[in-house]
Amino acid sequence: MGAAMIAGLPLSNRVRDYPESEFRHPLPHEAELTAGVRIEPGRSYGFFTDTTVCIGCKACEVACKEWNNLPADNLGLTGDSYDNTGHLSANTWRHVAFIEQMADRPTEMRPFQSNWLMMSDVCKHCHNPPCMEACPTGALFKTEFDTVVVQQDICNGCGYCVPACPFGVVDLNPLDGKAHKCTLCYDRLKGGLEPACAKSCPTDSIQFGEVADLQQRAAKRLEHLHAVGVPSAYLYGAPDGPGATGGLKYLNAFFLLTDRPEVYNLPEAPTRPSDRVAPSLLSGLAAVAGLAVAAVALFSRRD
Amino acid sequence: MNFIPLPSPSAARPVSDAYDGTTYYGRPALKPAPFENSVVGSYIFLAGLCGVAQVIATVADVARAPRREGLVRRGRLLSMLAPTLGSVLLVYDLHTPKRFYNMLRIARPTSPMSIGTWILMGFSIFSGATAAAQVAADWVRPGWARLLHGIARTTQVPAAVAGAGLGTYTASLLSSTSTPLWAAAPKSLAVQFGSSSMASGAAALAMAERHAGSRSLARKLDTLALAALAVELGASVVSEATYRTRGISAAEDAAADTRTIAQIGTIAPFALQMLAGKGKRSAGILSDLASLAILAGSFCLRTGVMEAGDESARRPQDYFRFAKPGNLPK
Repeated sequence: MGAAMIAGLPLSNRVRDYPESEFRHPLPHEAELTAGVRIEPGRSYGFFTDTTVCIGCKACEVACKEWNNLPADNLGLTGDSYDNTGHLSANTWRHVAFIEQMADRPTEMRPFQSNWLMMSDVCKHCHNPPCMEACPTGALFKTEFDTVVVQQDICNGCGYCVPACPFGVVDLNPLDGKAHKCTLCYDRLKGGLEPACAKSCPTDSIQFGEVADLQQRAAKRLEHLHAVGVPSAYLYGAPDGPGATGGLKYLNAFFLLTDRPEVYNLPEAPTRPSDRVAPSLLSGLAAVAGLAVAAVALFSRRD
Repeated sequence: MNFIPLPSPSAARPVSDAYDGTTYYGRPALKPAPFENSVVGSYIFLAGLCGVAQVIATVADVARAPRREGLVRRGRLLSMLAPTLGSVLLVYDLHTPKRFYNMLRIARPTSPMSIGTWILMGFSIFSGATAAAQVAADWVRPGWARLLHGIARTTQVPAAVAGAGLGTYTASLLSSTSTPLWAAAPKSLAVQFGSSSMASGAAALAMAERHAGSRSLARKLDTLALAALAVELGASVVSEATYRTRGISAAEDAAADTRTIAQIGTIAPFALQMLAGKGKRSAGILSDLASLAILAGSFCLRTGVMEAGDESARRPQDYFRFAKPGNLPK
């Protein structure tokens, strides 16, 4: 696939093959045209969510609900800025957070985004996914696109993936008794399509692509932001950085943030729960074994 | 909200160690485990009681304790509560119970839920065989009975090994999550659960021995239960200290009542047994009270930890304080 400047945009040469504006059939490898990436099994895909260009339009939330046939969770108002979605859940796989940072005097405000932070949160598709490591049925698995998906025909709703997730993403649906979360549009990837949220994002805040490419793109963006006067920008979920600590290694869906992670409801240093299995099991067994030895001594005493 | 000062150019990454209490509208950053605490708490209690009953019966048999026959029989029969009632509780807590058999699709060493499934399977098979041989031996001719007792003597060993696992893996199940209160002290929580299992198993069997008229074995089991309680007390002090230094102990208030019963169940038995040692006439009643207090405390330890953990998952400030680079495993 070659890239060229077409109508002032860096687009694939393939766009010249489709001059019409409506299509009767899906295009082969459509993601090449919309995201500049060909989707092939065996490669690693993910999201780079650049919060500095998010405008809080929630097109990602809507596109996700539309494509995945997900019902609304909450039709009321929360009173927390424009965030009436609340949180990621079994029915909500993209969630736009709104943080209004007000100054006492407007002259003291930072000359950047009017001190409004917006961020489209999503499942992180961890490299070492705690939910998958906790799943006792194998319902949670890594796909051929290196994404993490719950197989609905296997999940028995034990719910152990829910507390395992260090980001509070996975959730049970009480109606069907199964665990649900973002699938990174597994069905679309199989058809060569860009995930719905990324395709609908009007500012390219959500970028879809191969993880290595996205990490390079993010590093370049970070360098640019630091150069133009946004020194607070950093990556959340880049290899061994904030959000990818404690053995998670890196997140396939990572973020560019400009304030501390907690502001966005994210932990700074999450851990990998499976690291605690062996120390815990061995200490417990040692306690029981020690007491069993005491029992042997007690029982073999003649009275 | 306060004014956020312009960061210095060097602050390319967020300042780490100090957590300033920021949350996102106070909303939870985690989801609490969707377990029914009374159901799963009952299972954890039963798993501990039954697993250790098998351990004690096996140890008594192998150590050739004097007049052990009744104790060994009761230990083997008591252990059957986990495969029967315990399994029912586990399946009941699934949100799609008819697919319970999917637990047997895989064995996953990173998941204590999967490890526990296989421990329970192994325990059910071996302690089931032991108990079946024990019961069948009463119905057959002496020659066959000897053979059946021999079988029970063999199968009880793997049953006891699985029993030790059954009494402790449940702590690992809670610790291997992101729930702050469960994850903070994996080692001492496991010692608490393991020793509490031992205390409950010994207390239940001691009570049975007392009523069967076997005073000396009952006294030995009471001593074992108190020793286990002492270990549990020590481990709980370590856990509490860890919660306090990590700044996550406030969530425990959500389970204050349950925790009070658990604490009474750990401390009162010492006093009751001491009184039982002095007063000759009411000794049996006091010892029985001590055993019952241990059983109640052991159950409430588990449900209390579960309730408090759920609360800690709902408190974003606890999780953010916990999820700091300073708390990462070295």
